[in-house]
Amino acid sequence: MIVILLASLIMVLLACLMAWILGWANRAFHVEVDPRVSAVLDALPGANCGACGYVGCGEYAEAAASGEAPPDLCPVGGDSCAQAVAEILGIEVGQKLPFRPVVHCGATYDKRLIHSEYRGEPSCRSANLVGGVQACTYGCLGFGDCERSCPFDAIHVIDGLARVDYEKCTGCGACARVCPRNIIHMIPFKSERVMVVACSNHDPGKYVRQVCKVGCIGCGMCARKSDLFRVEDNLAHIDYDQYDPESMDEAQLALEKCPMNGILYIGEPGPEELEQTDGEDVGEPVRDEFQTTVDDTEWHG
Amino acid sequence: METLTTLILIAVGAALINNFVLHYFVGLCPFVGVSRRLDTAFGMGLAVTFVITIASLLSWTLTFYVLRQGAPVTAWIGGFFLSPDRAAEIDLTILNYIVYIFVIASSVQFVEMYVRRFFPPLYKAFGVYLPLITTNCAILFACLEIMKHVSGASSPAEMWGLHEALTLAVFGGLGFTLAIVIMAGIREELDLCDVPAPLQGPPIAMIVAGILALAFTGFTGVDRGLEEALRPEKNETAQTARSESAPYPHEVSR
Repeated sequence: MIVILLASLIMVLLACLMAWILGWANRAFHVEVDPRVSAVLDALPGANCGACGYVGCGEYAEAAASGEAPPDLCPVGGDSCAQAVAEILGIEVGQKLPFRPVVHCGATYDKRLIHSEYRGEPSCRSANLVGGVQACTYGCLGFGDCERSCPFDAIHVIDGLARVDYEKCTGCGACARVCPRNIIHMIPFKSERVMVVACSNHDPGKYVRQVCKVGCIGCGMCARKSDLFRVEDNLAHIDYDQYDPESMDEAQLALEKCPMNGILYIGEPGPEELEQTDGEDVGEPVRDEFQTTVDDTEWHG
Repeated sequence: METLTTLILIAVGAALINNFVLHYFVGLCPFVGVSRRLDTAFGMGLAVTFVITIASLLSWTLTFYVLRQGAPVTAWIGGFFLSPDRAAEIDLTILNYIVYIFVIASSVQFVEMYVRRFFPPLYKAFGVYLPLITTNCAILFACLEIMKHVSGASSPAEMWGLHEALTLAVFGGLGFTLAIVIMAGIREELDLCDVPAPLQGPPIAMIVAGILALAFTGFTGVDRGLEEALRPEKNETAQTARSESAPYPHEVSR
């Protein structure tokens, strides 16, 4: 009995001692914190998940309060959280454009001119290490690293060229990170259809013609037709900051004049395409058949 | 010299042979959770070493003066109610878990406030790991291990002093740092490997941890050899002891 009493007495003494020490330390070691930081911290969900790129909510709150980070980084809190954070900081949330991946290569397998046989591991990453799998050292290799990296089944290799299914794509950027040739870029989709240059080849035109039927030869025709385009290192680029889906007349002209047909619209089909295929039987998309007994599982070892 | 030998044996034992993570499997949560990148793993290791040292200091003090049988403070308080002989018999080691967890949690809080005030860069580097360490079982394990050698010692001569407790804590923490840094290095390399789909993520981490633990069993017996090398005068008794149990390897102390 006396032991129990003694034990509780000791625990109470210990608790008082610790409480006193911690209380003293709390005052003695007090640090002035920007009140906005704690306000932002309260507005955040407090999941400490690290999806914003900072170690925890506390660190992101500090970065946001000091202006280093935009207020809309928290994917867990979403728009309402971004709005709350922006209100605390007295700034406006920037308009967020959906960024979607674009494969800057337009050459399907039959349009690439020189290949050699490759029997290594079927991944772009290893094929990229071996020179001369295909003559164009900038273009899509077509082994489907992007396809495997996509968590949403939104990118597929068709005829040796990666193509994005923009209905399924959420813009997570996994394919852009995994592509060893860095030909997949995330660009702002200001409208459902976006004009892109479907080539990444920086070589002079003479060499591009040797390796590809559709590669950009850097002739500069598009840049002469429209200010939207500029040619750098023998490759046409589109300036997406100036891109305006409402006034595309000049750009449309550039698209038509491009000698290699390397400028394309991607995304939703436009009115012309719909008109062209109107009434035609385009056929049903081919689905996987799961009745085969052949195991074509690839081994990546 | 004798003290130094004991300390070296405790240090090597805590850091390598009986590594907290890879031998006793305590502190696995940060070992698996924070070993994704080398720099954060190193930071976590150092933070654990830091907190383990402070917690051991406090827990040794409490065990020695309050909890163990015949502890001076308890005997003094008990003396008000009981006869001195009975007061000296009071054993409060039943309170060990609650007291240690209480002490660890408070010291982590205190350390966090202190570091925040006086070493802001360090506070930034530790980040969220410092509060997380409160729930790290490796630290409670170190406290319990120290208690075992203080209240459970068979004779007062074998009872651990503060220096021995701190050696165990510091080198146990360094052993934890070593293990988590090796693990992080392996996992960074693993990111570049083609791991079969069913094993990706935590499964391969557990397998790697298991192989690492196997590798660390290679240190078993080093303590015995080291002891023989450092204490030549005790060699003869050790050798006779060994000849009796000749076919069996030295039993792993657990």
